[in-house]
Amino acid sequence: MKRQGVQRVNWIGVLVFALFICVLPFLFSKSFYITKATFAGLYTIVAVGLGLLMGFAGQISLGQAAFYGVGAYSTAVLSTTYGINPWLSLLVSLLVPALVAYIMGQTMARLHGYYLAMATLAFGIVIHVLLVEWKSVTKGASGLYGVPKIEIFGFAFKQGLSYYYLVWTFALIVIIISLNIIHSRIGRALRSIHDSEIASSAMGVDTGKYKMQVFIISAMFAGLAGWLFAHMSYSISPTSFGLNHSILFLTMVVLGGATSVWGAVFGAFLISLINILVHTLGSHISFITSDFEHVLYGLILMLVVIFLPRGVFPSLVSLLKSYDYKGKKKKEKGQVEAVKGEHHV
Amino acid sequence: MGELMQYLITGLTIGSMYAIVALGFVTIYSVTKVINLAQGEFVMLGGMIMFSFTKAGVPYIFSFFLTILTVIIIGFLIEATIIRKAKNADPLSLIILTIGAAIFIRGIASMFWGKDPVKIAPFLANNEPISIFGASITPQSIWVMVFMLAIVAILYILMEKTMIGKAFRACSANPLAARLMAISPKKMSAFSFAFSAGLGAIAGLVIAPILFPAYDMGIMLGIKGFSASILGGLGSAPGAVIGGILLGLIESFGAGYISSGMKDAIAFGAVLLLLLIRPFGILGEKNVGKGGL
Repeated sequence: MKRQGVQRVNWIGVLVFALFICVLPFLFSKSFYITKATFAGLYTIVAVGLGLLMGFAGQISLGQAAFYGVGAYSTAVLSTTYGINPWLSLLVSLLVPALVAYIMGQTMARLHGYYLAMATLAFGIVIHVLLVEWKSVTKGASGLYGVPKIEIFGFAFKQGLSYYYLVWTFALIVIIISLNIIHSRIGRALRSIHDSEIASSAMGVDTGKYKMQVFIISAMFAGLAGWLFAHMSYSISPTSFGLNHSILFLTMVVLGGATSVWGAVFGAFLISLINILVHTLGSHISFITSDFEHVLYGLILMLVVIFLPRGVFPSLVSLLKSYDYKGKKKKEKGQVEAVKGEHHV
Repeated sequence: MGELMQYLITGLTIGSMYAIVALGFVTIYSVTKVINLAQGEFVMLGGMIMFSFTKAGVPYIFSFFLTILTVIIIGFLIEATIIRKAKNADPLSLIILTIGAAIFIRGIASMFWGKDPVKIAPFLANNEPISIFGASITPQSIWVMVFMLAIVAILYILMEKTMIGKAFRACSANPLAARLMAISPKKMSAFSFAFSAGLGAIAGLVIAPILFPAYDMGIMLGIKGFSASILGGLGSAPGAVIGGILLGLIESFGAGYISSGMKDAIAFGAVLLLLLIRPFGILGEKNVGKGGL
């Protein structure tokens, strides 16, 4: 086991994953699957941000869909009502959620545990109600329609393969940023906060500052996903940004594993797979409906918390490592002794 | 004057509902330190099972008690199968666990009862509104308040005057010491779940004639009950009642004077504001160390 002073991002892993994303659409041809894979990319962006918040800063958010909605509505309102270029409104879709997160963070910094969970829940509901009721801007429950497509050098990203690549390009950027964050000074500070907030603040870590930064980053990621979602669909309505979606994002992170960036990615993929599975089975078996999907999500949440509290991905990794470990056992033992020897000297 | 009175009565009625749900949260929390976000589903089950029993031709009063019994068994089963397995998990995982349980129950309910709301007869055949100071109130609304007061009284007697209440408080204060005194925290945990499932069922039963229960009624009621217990200060029964009534009043006056569509936003906005001023709720957690309730 080679110990490094600073842990580095595993670029090979990123590269392998990027290749996987590139060839994925060619493994199947139906546009239904490509749409689902595009959604997996959107969900990945939100889930990675939520994973940073939950797994590294140790903060729960039951209202993440609100930031997703704020991002989507920011761009939809600007580009449809005011005709502003989507690339310009991208900035707004990132900044408005960040600002909202900053204000909410000031409030929530004083809350812990169940009180924090309640506050995020309340926040998510307030935003959802505002999306429905602020009719002069959001057009109420029926939502906004006619959201323009994103264009670059005259090329419009319509639904399908081109949008799939656009979404996943952003998703990969988000993954790389997140990997960099957790392998940096901030990441180490966050992990220490996650283990013990009191101990790390005693060591001089400004816990409040780091928690706030991660909260803002996760809100910006959700805003980015909202921006992509708004320009993918022709119309948006408040139903896509309610409590159900917040819980869906939570499910992804818990399922995949909150303590790893790849865990969140894995979770987003698994949920999309389950969605496809239920959809395909549903067309053959009348018993399997969209209600059944919810039963399944509930069951998954419970089973994962009970049997795989760290999530599927970290458990898989440690399982693979333990196989590897058997072969290298002797070598490592020798190393441990060498270290001990050094210590004596 | 009539308008104000009407909002006050409506606020007290829904506030009492939230208070009953919040008392369920507090009962479990003060014994096990678990917040059971499936509490709202117990309320929903109360209404829906009552509907099934009365539809099957079981007399009203028997359906009432059979429903409570059924939901108590469900609560007991949830504790025995899910919560006990994950007892040592951190609060974050426990929240997620009970959210999972809530989604699961809700999904099953929508497959079993369908998505349409059901209708249940009020307690008294004559549910004509009574006029008080220019405002009207239905007998069923009075029943909700009566049940809330009765539950508070029963909870108080149970917790303060009986051995079981002492055992509850002992487990809450120090599970290890409680075990040394031959009290089983496991049994108490199961009992608290069964008990609060029963409370949820009662809440569901008394409000069913007003609210027309549907498979998804538990979400909002659960969240409102949770915020009422947080507002009052987790682990405090008087706090839960105050929190519930306060939330009901804010909601009712918000809906009346500002906008009915905004009532949830106003209620939760107020919760956020109050948490900003008092991060540990109105009555704080000062009772928890002494055994809650």
